[in-house]
Amino acid sequence: MSTLLEKHIVELLHEGNDKAISLLYEHYGDTLYGVAHKVVRNEEIAQDVLQESFVKIWNKSHTYDPSKAKLFTWLFRITRNTAIDKIRSLSNKSEKEIQIDVSDVYNVGKELDKIEAKYRIVLEALFFEGMTQQEASDELGIPLGTIKSRLKIGLRELRKIYGAASFLLFSLMHWL
Amino acid sequence: MKEKVRIFLETDLLEKYLLGNTSSEETARVERYIAMYPEVRKTYRELEENLEAFAKLYSRKTPEGLRERIFSSIQSQRSGRRRFIRYAIAASIAALFFAGSSYFFWNQNQSLQQENAIVNNKIRVLEADMKQQLEDVRNQFIVLNNPQTRKYLVNGNQKARDLKAIAYVNPVKKLSYINVRNLPQLPENQCYQMWAEVNGEMVNLGVLKDLDDRDRLLALPYGEKAMSYITIEPEGGNTAPTVKNIVANLKY
Repeated sequence: MSTLLEKHIVELLHEGNDKAISLLYEHYGDTLYGVAHKVVRNEEIAQDVLQESFVKIWNKSHTYDPSKAKLFTWLFRITRNTAIDKIRSLSNKSEKEIQIDVSDVYNVGKELDKIEAKYRIVLEALFFEGMTQQEASDELGIPLGTIKSRLKIGLRELRKIYGAASFLLFSLMHWL
Repeated sequence: MKEKVRIFLETDLLEKYLLGNTSSEETARVERYIAMYPEVRKTYRELEENLEAFAKLYSRKTPEGLRERIFSSIQSQRSGRRRFIRYAIAASIAALFFAGSSYFFWNQNQSLQQENAIVNNKIRVLEADMKQQLEDVRNQFIVLNNPQTRKYLVNGNQKARDLKAIAYVNPVKKLSYINVRNLPQLPENQCYQMWAEVNGEMVNLGVLKDLDDRDRLLALPYGEKAMSYITIEPEGGNTAPTVKNIVANLKY
């Protein structure tokens, strides 16, 4: 389901109106920056990734098809792929030059704590690191069946956290 | 739930599709399942919601100044793109103009070359013509002025009594001319034709057209003991003289 805001942003994007970028930054900037940071684990590189991602979003805006994916899904794909490409190109240049910022371990929000680490690790591997379930199974040394079940439980836990908030949002939209 | 939908959901194709990691065949398959089966569609929508929710857990405050950096790079992209479009339009117009003018000049060059070839050809023909005429006039002058030139009066026989001609023969210069002064009227399907028998060979000297210029001299091929004839022939001339139609002859 796309919200009115999403529809408005998509219209502006398709018109080539740069207000779309302003709204995107305002509503998705922090999340996308968090995604970039989660992948590259470095403040400066994450900033570069976000900048490159927004330029790509702007240049590819005509290719976005709302019937195929939510706006966030599309933004996430671009940002995550840009971050993964960045990591690859930097590690090709010189692995030693990259300063890995491990501080994010301590930046984990309270809500994230609500999801057990074993589920979170699987979700991160699949969503942020671009692994397939088989790759996650190999990488984490967990059987494929366990990966599948942990993904399901992890997603259920997520719904628990966001279920209440979504219910409130839908009620508000319905009331409006 | 259909068995094949259950099997489809067991795979991680939907997750791969969500993250844009599917091949084009896989993408087509996933999109077909999403369009056809409400369970798949529902699962996919839930996955999208979950992804957003999960990503939000990692939100970080964007640093000061990043927004401006992003905006200025997009602005420079836009102006670059606009400039490129302007240059592209200008270049296209210029290319079209050059193509058009090149074709125009090429075309003009082709027709000028053709015209030039025609004019050159005409000049060559005129030159040859002029040389021939000059040579002819020179010979006529020699014949008419030379004291050794003999003058013969040629009269027509009973078939053309009014035929009058004067022949000039110069044995020294080996030149001979004839001036046909008068030709009696013939029916429309007949004409006068002139011949010369030189060294045992009959030469066709052509049809005598209406005498517009009575002072015109016609060159005769010169030969020892040559004979010249005027015959009446069918209109357009004949390939050999009709002996019974000889109207005048001249020995020279």
